Amino acid sequence: MNLTSCPYEKEVRQLMARGQWPDACPAELRTHVSGCRTCGDLVLVSEAFQHARAESLAVARPVAPAVLLWRAQLRRRNAAMERVSRPLLGAQIFACAVALFAAAGFAGFEARNGVAWFTLSYWHDWFVQLPQAAMAQWDSLSPGALAGPGWTWMVLALAVAMLVLLGGAAVYFATDKP
Amino acid sequence: MAPTDKRTRMPWEFTLPHAWAGGSEEAAGAGVCDPAMENEAFAGFYERSARPLWAYLARVSADPALADDLMQESYVRYLCAEGSPTLARDGEAAARRYLFRIATNLLRDHWRHPRTASIEEIPEEFFAARGQATQTDAQILLAPALRQMKPRERQMLWLAHAEGYSHREIANVMGLHAASIRLLLFRARRKIAALLRACAADDGRKS
Repeated sequence: MNLTSCPYEKEVRQLMARGQWPDACPAELRTHVSGCRTCGDLVLVSEAFQHARAESLAVARPVAPAVLLWRAQLRRRNAAMERVSRPLLGAQIFACAVALFAAAGFAGFEARNGVAWFTLSYWHDWFVQLPQAAMAQWDSLSPGALAGPGWTWMVLALAVAMLVLLGGAAVYFATDKP
Repeated sequence: MAPTDKRTRMPWEFTLPHAWAGGSEEAAGAGVCDPAMENEAFAGFYERSARPLWAYLARVSADPALADDLMQESYVRYLCAEGSPTLARDGEAAARRYLFRIATNLLRDHWRHPRTASIEEIPEEFFAARGQATQTDAQILLAPALRQMKPRERQMLWLAHAEGYSHREIANVMGLHAASIRLLLFRARRKIAALLRACAADDGRKS
């Protein structure tokens, strides 16, 4: 299809926009429009759309603006809540995974040392020896006692756990962008 | 005496704590959730733009119920959008164009993923039923002619001939290149003019 523009098209468009078509326009222009396909199409289509617009404006029943403001406020609030809860959920999943990992490590460590703590007599003895054992553990917390190989692993595990938790907190603050 | 100065009144938006309202200082600075905009300014803007927007949506979609939904959604998105034009900063024309752009995108999304038909949906004859006495031939024929046009053509024609937007403004609203609008609009106008004339001829033969 060839795009053949008419030199009068702009003038006709302006007259229509100002509401001067057809009464307040020169007779020559009306004669031109009746014979020009481009201008004829423009007038026909513009009139149809303008009338349809006027009719639609009359039947429109918009809701009160306060309703829209309220809905927008609600949506913003929900979006803010979602923004806050997303990193929290991530941190919770991360913490859960760390806890499961620690529990699995503890279970594995205990399994290597036997399963005596499953028996009732083990717990009975444990309760009986608890006061003495507590005193002994308190003594073992001295700096000299911490140099043993078992404590080295414990300290290392605690350091790793601390790093993991701090990493989780760092991830939380990094993703908590407004 | 009750205070009448509007500066002393607390807008209803501020009755919720700021954090719960979902606002932020940055957002307010960017014109988003601007309380001033959300009161008298927005009400005035809404009063002037809601009916033309509804007319656009209703005529282009041929579904007044859908137009109601999409119009509300357009305003809500406009109010929530970050970096949307504000009346104070960009002027009403820019805000209005942005609103039409949101509505155009919503219509496009609707056509891509049409929802199931609602019993409340009113057919196109809804328009004919109201004010039929004042209808011209072109109006009676416009609805069937529009139905035969592609959605994009309907949008373009409405923006150009009902809203009086320039090619550049239409391109801005529809997300197309301004250079292609001229040709696309020319073709669409020629097509709908032929349809209007054909419908008018059929109507004349019947009567």
